[in-house]
Amino acid sequence: MEATACTKTEALAPCSSVVDGNFEEVPRETVIQFKPPLYRQRYQFVKNLVEQHEPKKVADLGCGDTSLLRLLKVNPCIELLVGVDINEDKLRWRGDTLAPFLGDFLKPRDLNLTITLYHGSVVERDSRLLGFDLITCIELIEHLDSGDLARFPEVVFGYLSPSMIVISTPNSEFNPLFPSVTFRDSDHKFEWTRMEFQTWALYVANRYDYSVEFTGVGEPPAGAENVGYCTQIGIFRKNGGKAMESCVSEQYDQHVYKAVFTTSYPSLQQERFFKLVLVNEVSQQVESLRVSHLPRQKKQDGEWGDKPKDSKAPCPCFGPVFTEVEKAKIENSPKPFCVGDKFFVPLQRLLAYPKLNRLCANEEMMRSVIADSIPLSSDGSAVVSDLRDYFDEQF
Amino acid sequence: PPSVDLSNNEASSGNGFVGTSRISTNDKYGISSCDAGSTFMERDVKNKRDFMDLDVCTREKLAHVRDCKTGSSGIPVKLVTNLFNLDFPQDWQLYQYHVTYLPDLASRRLRIALLYGHSKLSDKAKAFDGVMLFLSQKLEEKVTELSSETRRGETVKMTITLKRELPSSSPMCIQVFNIIFRKILKKLSMYQIGRNFYNPSEPMEIPQHKLSLWPGFAISVSYFESKLLFSADVSYKVLRNETVLEFMTALCHRTGLSCFTQTCEKQLIGLVVLTRYNNRTYRIDDIDWSVRPTHTFQKRDGTEITYVDYYKQQYDITISDLNQPMLVSLLRRKRDDNSEAQLAHLIPELCFLTGLTEQAASDFQLMKAVAEKTRLSPSGRQQRLAGLVDNLQRNTNARFELETWGLHFGSQISLTGRVVPSEKILMQDHICQPASAADWSKDIRTCKILSAQSLNTWLILCSDRTEYVANSFLNCLRRVGDSMGFTVDYPKIIKLQENPAAFVRAVQRHVGPDAQLTAYYDSIKKYLSLDYPVPSQCVLARTLNKQGMMMSIATKIAMQMTCKLGGELWAVEIPLKSLMVVGIDVCKDALSKDVMVVGCVASVNPGITRWFSRCILQRTTTDVADCLKVFMTGALNKWYKYNHDLPARIIVYRAGVGDGQLRTLIEYEVPQLLSSVAESSSNASSRLSVIVVRKRCMPRFFTEMNRTVQNPPLGTVVDSEATRHEWYDFYLISQVAGRGTVSPTYYNVIYDDNGLKPDHMQRLTFKLCHLYYNWPGLISVPAPCQYAHKLTFLVAQSIHKEPSLELANFLFYL
Repeated sequence: MEATACTKTEALAPCSSVVDGNFEEVPRETVIQFKPPLYRQRYQFVKNLVEQHEPKKVADLGCGDTSLLRLLKVNPCIELLVGVDINEDKLRWRGDTLAPFLGDFLKPRDLNLTITLYHGSVVERDSRLLGFDLITCIELIEHLDSGDLARFPEVVFGYLSPSMIVISTPNSEFNPLFPSVTFRDSDHKFEWTRMEFQTWALYVANRYDYSVEFTGVGEPPAGAENVGYCTQIGIFRKNGGKAMESCVSEQYDQHVYKAVFTTSYPSLQQERFFKLVLVNEVSQQVESLRVSHLPRQKKQDGEWGDKPKDSKAPCPCFGPVFTEVEKAKIENSPKPFCVGDKFFVPLQRLLAYPKLNRLCANEEMMRSVIADSIPLSSDGSAVVSDLRDYFDEQF
Repeated sequence: PPSVDLSNNEASSGNGFVGTSRISTNDKYGISSCDAGSTFMERDVKNKRDFMDLDVCTREKLAHVRDCKTGSSGIPVKLVTNLFNLDFPQDWQLYQYHVTYLPDLASRRLRIALLYGHSKLSDKAKAFDGVMLFLSQKLEEKVTELSSETRRGETVKMTITLKRELPSSSPMCIQVFNIIFRKILKKLSMYQIGRNFYNPSEPMEIPQHKLSLWPGFAISVSYFESKLLFSADVSYKVLRNETVLEFMTALCHRTGLSCFTQTCEKQLIGLVVLTRYNNRTYRIDDIDWSVRPTHTFQKRDGTEITYVDYYKQQYDITISDLNQPMLVSLLRRKRDDNSEAQLAHLIPELCFLTGLTEQAASDFQLMKAVAEKTRLSPSGRQQRLAGLVDNLQRNTNARFELETWGLHFGSQISLTGRVVPSEKILMQDHICQPASAADWSKDIRTCKILSAQSLNTWLILCSDRTEYVANSFLNCLRRVGDSMGFTVDYPKIIKLQENPAAFVRAVQRHVGPDAQLTAYYDSIKKYLSLDYPVPSQCVLARTLNKQGMMMSIATKIAMQMTCKLGGELWAVEIPLKSLMVVGIDVCKDALSKDVMVVGCVASVNPGITRWFSRCILQRTTTDVADCLKVFMTGALNKWYKYNHDLPARIIVYRAGVGDGQLRTLIEYEVPQLLSSVAESSSNASSRLSVIVVRKRCMPRFFTEMNRTVQNPPLGTVVDSEATRHEWYDFYLISQVAGRGTVSPTYYNVIYDDNGLKPDHMQRLTFKLCHLYYNWPGLISVPAPCQYAHKLTFLVAQSIHKEPSLELANFLFYL
């Protein structure tokens, strides 16, 4: 979707049209209109669940055009994201949109992330989907014929056996509220009532030692509350949590899915990018300390943060804001100093800044990473730069 | 032309088919088209076509080269290129379909999704922009009806109607090939920025300047002399390792608050930023200081939301600085509908700067660091190319894409060029055959220059501090002047305070009508070019302080001074007896970007050693053509004055031509030039040729030696295979690249009454590359072009007004 400003002056927040591709739905004259659209509510539901439980490995079975994966990939906790679908063309076509953004190379994630799309059927066993923390089957089961539906629990619950499974499916009790009487999609093999879904779910949960709780999205309109959510959702949790994980290694490899697309994100866990970010942050901090060390060119500017004389522009005071604790920590660290026309910033000082502290645990680590990119003092305890640089002469 | 996409200051100027090893100051460093993420076909098909000047066919009108445009003189040399064969079956065709939807769908994305999702087309190679569909295999029926279902269960009928069958040589087909290759490069994990592709996972860092360089390629598929070829050249994208917010914060620290907003706008507006949450780039058109991330905007569905919430919801990004202003970018619409331009507000914290600010580009140390990182020897370049080709052939996804289209990536093209004979340099009483055409300063050290005015009445302005240096420089100057044949009398030396104002005041006070020349400092240039036209020479004390360099510096300066006084340094043999050569260059004024600075330089003697130079400021392209007429008339008058006749032949070298401007040149400029020539004479008028000169072009040529590739010898001409069939064009290598890869200069003869044989045209062009008096050696373009460039550069950067006509007979701008 693309947010569009209605008039010239109104702001338009840019959002990607290419990568952000949930297709706009065709407006139709129905009585029921969900806002946001129902499919987005389903995705949001999964997203909230992910934020709550912070799974590391997530798979979406029947991932279709990969919209859900695109929504989930921004989550910092996920390290492996897998989509499976039987429509290979669609995976191929949409796969590219899951690749890292250019910006991800400049501001890498904290943790590695790999995204893989497999072409295959959810009733086939592939060992690469073992040991997951969350497997989602959003509007999937109603597309399975009776044979596949019978095999489905055995594969997903019995074989893959992730810590958590989310299954959503239409609630047929809601259907009378729609103008058309038949199934919501021509490919649906069935649409269940709440009772039918829950009976199935409880049976499966019981059989494979999961507990299940039921909820849904798509609130019914006023007066029809008794039909329940438009989409019914079952959240299955494995009893005993991750006990199965030890078994994973014992399973022999079974690769039946075809990997159609795979991509790895740059992250701070990778040396190259860690160094890039650290060197950057250090030079940035040194630069900012250096500039504030220089005598002000125009004294009348007064202190940092004063109102500018030019009343047309409101005060452009921005930049990092520190808490009291952080301020105290910075204040108590060794101060930058000058020797001749050289400017020194002790590494200990740099480590006091929250941004750098987050990246780097200790002085030794910082020194070893930045040493060949940034000039250091002879004893290696401080960063050295020229007090004045080319740009200072420009203003 | 640099191999580096350093900045993105101009959207229109076609970018990056760039690449030598040198960072040059012209053309704003490479330039990648900055229109945000233009990946779509319809627009591309249209633009690209103009951009490549595909529908301009000039050769068919030139009878003497209709059958053969290749020369034959010189020594043949085998060359490897950066061009590759694309093989496909003989009967290969592209099928163009038109697709309509019932009910009609406005959303292009939905249209594409429905079509791509349909099983009928699922295993076919296709390119689709929502309206036009291209297939490499014909559908059974001329009209195919399909139906698909939307997510909401609505049935949509798609009607696919065959419109055209296109042979592989058709321009439309070439565009589709380019789209296919763009798709393929994306599959190789490359990212498109502007027109080129970059690999951000292998960045090169320049930490001391906070820069990252992303290596990549400029690629294109085009129809060359006889077949479709894929060309690739190495390119780099410069990124700053900081967000716009960090940049602004640092800038604010430097400038203080009072002039911060102004400086900030000056620095940032026009730059291109990359947003963190998608792959798009935006040009900064304005900064809105009154909007904060906590303010709301209206989404398309009409709801209001704050920027903070929007980015949290949409991208899971937390904006940390709530006081930052907004960057404003004017969105260029993808289609030519008349909808109003839309503004996008961008959060500085989420934007990365690409390219360099003007200030950074003027930082010599920084540019040197960039040049060192990006310089590639011919063999290094060849290795990169091989890597790309290997990748293209091995990557299964890339190969799959090629195969479904029925294409096969073929071999690297080799061709035969010719090395034209080297030139002798004619001095006053000596003909010298330089050891190397790259630099003959040593060869002519003891020779007298052709002619020189003696320097009698002149001033030296210097500060107290530099008086000693000034005196020793003066001695040197007199000594080298003497051996050169340039008499330098003693000047009046004026000492003054070391600031520009003092210099200007002194200039105003002391420069009388009889003064010929003054030396030292800057900003007096303006006064001495406009208000009081006197040739001047500025020298930095730092330059003169270089140990042991005084003699060679003095020699260079003596030569420059001679030229500024109307002297002639050297010549080459010109077989045509009455030939005027003209150089034209155009660039934008540095202060007011809508002003075009047009520099024109014409030779006024048969020896091509004396020049008439004018610079004119204009606002539109038609005005440019008009001012060419004004200039030509002036130049012809001058010629008549000196030679008592009009030149039999005129050859115009036109540089500064943007992509897609050929048609304009042919329709406006050539007729204006012709009419000025016709009007200047009642009987037979001079014969005219117009040659477009481009320093940036896609092809590269290497010679193979001892299993490694090297730059071809100076004077190498290529006029086959890598040229275009519709044009009378050739490549000439007339510059030295040192450790980097040389880039050939491309010449396209768009108009030619002279009927010279291609051989003669090529050799004449080569001769003219020897005549630039600011450098005792070959240069990359004909001297008149370089003079015109130098003149426009001076005016666009420093003077911003038309220099006094009194200086027109001197090379005052050297």
